[in-house]
Amino acid sequence: MWGTNLRILGVVLGTLALYTLIANKIPQVQSEVPRALTLGADVTPEQLAQAGEQVFTGIGGCTTCHGLGTRAPNLLTDEKGQGPIGARCGKREAGKDCKAYLHEALTQPGAFVVTGYEPIMPDMTRTLSPQQIWAVIAYLESQGGTITVAASDIPAGSQGGPTPGASPGIAGGSSDPMTIIRGAGCIGCHKIGTEGGAVGPDLTHVGGRLSPAGIREAILLPNAKVTKGYERFAGIMPKVFGDQLTANQLEALVTFLAGHK
Amino acid sequence: MIDAVHLLQAATDSLPAYRDFPVIGSRAAVWIAAEIHLMFAAFVLGVPMFAVVAEAIGIFGKDQRYDRLAKEFTRLLLIAYSATAIWGAVLTFLLATLYPKFFAYLTTIFGVSMWIYVSIFFLESFTLYLYYYGWDRWKAGRAKVVHWGLGILLNLWGTLVMFIADSWLTYMMTPPRDVTPDTAPGSIKLWHAILNHTWMPINIHRLIGNVVFGGAIVGAYASYRFLAAKTDEERAHYDWMGYVGNFIAISALIVLPFAGYWLGREIYQYDQSMGITMMGGFMSWLWVIQAFLIAVLFLTGNYYLWVGMGRIPGAERFRPYTKWLLAVLVLGAIVWGTPHTMIADSRELAAMGGSHHPFLGALGVMSAKNTAVNLMILTTFLSFLLYRRANIRTVVPWARAGTMIQGGMFGVAAAIVLFFGIRGYFVEAIIRIGYSVYQVGAVLACIIFVTVIDVLMARGAQSLGAIQWGKMPPRSQYALFILAVTFTWLMGLMGFARSGIRQHWHVWQVVQDTTKYAATPALGQAAIMISICVLIFLSLVGFIFWLGGLAEKSTFVSAAPAGKEGQHVGH
Repeated sequence: MWGTNLRILGVVLGTLALYTLIANKIPQVQSEVPRALTLGADVTPEQLAQAGEQVFTGIGGCTTCHGLGTRAPNLLTDEKGQGPIGARCGKREAGKDCKAYLHEALTQPGAFVVTGYEPIMPDMTRTLSPQQIWAVIAYLESQGGTITVAASDIPAGSQGGPTPGASPGIAGGSSDPMTIIRGAGCIGCHKIGTEGGAVGPDLTHVGGRLSPAGIREAILLPNAKVTKGYERFAGIMPKVFGDQLTANQLEALVTFLAGHK
Repeated sequence: MIDAVHLLQAATDSLPAYRDFPVIGSRAAVWIAAEIHLMFAAFVLGVPMFAVVAEAIGIFGKDQRYDRLAKEFTRLLLIAYSATAIWGAVLTFLLATLYPKFFAYLTTIFGVSMWIYVSIFFLESFTLYLYYYGWDRWKAGRAKVVHWGLGILLNLWGTLVMFIADSWLTYMMTPPRDVTPDTAPGSIKLWHAILNHTWMPINIHRLIGNVVFGGAIVGAYASYRFLAAKTDEERAHYDWMGYVGNFIAISALIVLPFAGYWLGREIYQYDQSMGITMMGGFMSWLWVIQAFLIAVLFLTGNYYLWVGMGRIPGAERFRPYTKWLLAVLVLGAIVWGTPHTMIADSRELAAMGGSHHPFLGALGVMSAKNTAVNLMILTTFLSFLLYRRANIRTVVPWARAGTMIQGGMFGVAAAIVLFFGIRGYFVEAIIRIGYSVYQVGAVLACIIFVTVIDVLMARGAQSLGAIQWGKMPPRSQYALFILAVTFTWLMGLMGFARSGIRQHWHVWQVVQDTTKYAATPALGQAAIMISICVLIFLSLVGFIFWLGGLAEKSTFVSAAPAGKEGQHVGH
């Protein structure tokens, strides 16, 4: 019987060892606690890029879209023979060098949209501090290019949180409904007229099926009611527009959409 | 009075948020206690479900073997039940002493449900004692039916206890949306907290998972007793018991993924970023490991059946098919284990030439994976069907037509699965997601209708010889051990996935974990913890098995009733 017991023990320990070994042989990714970024005046380009990589793959949430290359350009790999983002960023927009282009892409994402992609990129000044934004730019420059971000680019005394003094509302506080819709990234999922995607309900005739109060509720509390046929996508729409839109923008948007009957 | 209140408030305010546990740290201590408690709990909740079904087969089918089997299942519960309670107490004390403020937060919201939990636990314990110790006293007539009613009551209490405990942990994962870090816990209504997004999906997933787990552990128990058996009768009994345990585990495993999909969908609906963290974020490799484990389960479960056919006269007719079944299972496992959305650094992305390796892009997507797993389920069902058919020759006049219809159903189901799997590559995601329902529907319809035809066809079937229970090579019994270890490890892994997606939050985006253990560990470290938990659990279970053998050595059927010898479960 001792022989049987030893064999059973061998089978159990062998199976456990195999699973533990395999789990330790694959890439190890630990989910770190986000920490505030503090960069001194003597920060080196390498330190900036290193901090930027952490923001890019962590709190920035950039890889959700830019990591796949389907929703947004993949920034870390070659695109159409132009190399990764650090190599191609200087040629993206006429008159803008790499640093200026990347800064614009992060802080005014609607200003230039790469052909073939929807304008779904959010304004990152709402979630990242200037230090974090410049760190991300340095990291992106390092991908196939040269880091030109320096400590002097970073405003002093802006350690954490979104950019103070950023213009209120979405799209710089614009009151033009289509500018707000594009700036908020709505057409990444919703179609309106000839623009937009098919993940969310088509808004071209939304005024015909929803009252102004219903439209307002759908913007502020997107999960309160889910349009029939889109149940699978419930929960995708961000619940941030109540915080991001100004009251004037919200009402302009509601009036505009309610008129689309 | 006011001074006393102030004093109490001061005492609460001075309560440390955390304390540490020597050597292994507070998180590891709670992890081990929670995991082992959960494993025992799954066992004591799963086993009564099929014990009561086995007793019913014994009563209504007038087959004493099942009644004795049910009693033996229940005997295992008695000691396991104490172990569950002990580990539950260890977990509670560790939480109260190591995470006092967070535990106080939970008790403020769920205090009433905790009192109800304890009361039901009390009722459950005494129902179990009545159920087991009353077995021989209430063994005939109306008393036997009342005894069976006790078994149903035992399941009812157990299910309620689990539902209550599930509400605590699902609140931590998916608290109601109106609860914020500033919400006073005393202002949160109990039912509002219980009825959170993932409560019911977890309840259903665990109900099925417990049956799978209970079946696997019973299978391991039977294999241990088989290997230790001294007589042919004992070996025959435990061979049969092992077969029943494996049958229960694999049958319930087949429907478990559907409950898992529901849970995953609810997580995505609750918070997209939580879903992305789970499937495409730092946990993405976890699903590759899961696929490997499930492949082991499918292969080992089928292997056990194929070896088992060696003790069935007439089964040699079907032996040539096993290599094709094996081929489908291996190919399915390879496709299912193909990763897709991986976190990769720039060097790795450059080496792949894009965000996806060409194989990963083609085989790692859900269209391919759903197709693979559905074909694996169909293949496993076919193995069961061949096993059932092994020692009978059907005599109904429509037997040939029936077999052809069954074959046609398999063909149509496989064709539907393949059609929608391939078509999924050419349509939008919103349409593709819906295809999985057609694939699953085709497989389930095939399983149901083919089983019905098979049962009708087996009426009055001519026996080619009795199953020679006990004539199993020892390697088949070690396969049952591999199944039990794998099921247990898989449970630990999925527990890590469920709990780990909260990351550095005790309650997702409401109560933050500010200990030095707040970072969620990588899979390698988690795997070491899981293996430690499984080893402790299996060591204790082994001790319980040994005690079971020590206390009662003659529960097995001394001789199968005449005419019942060659029958299988479900005949």
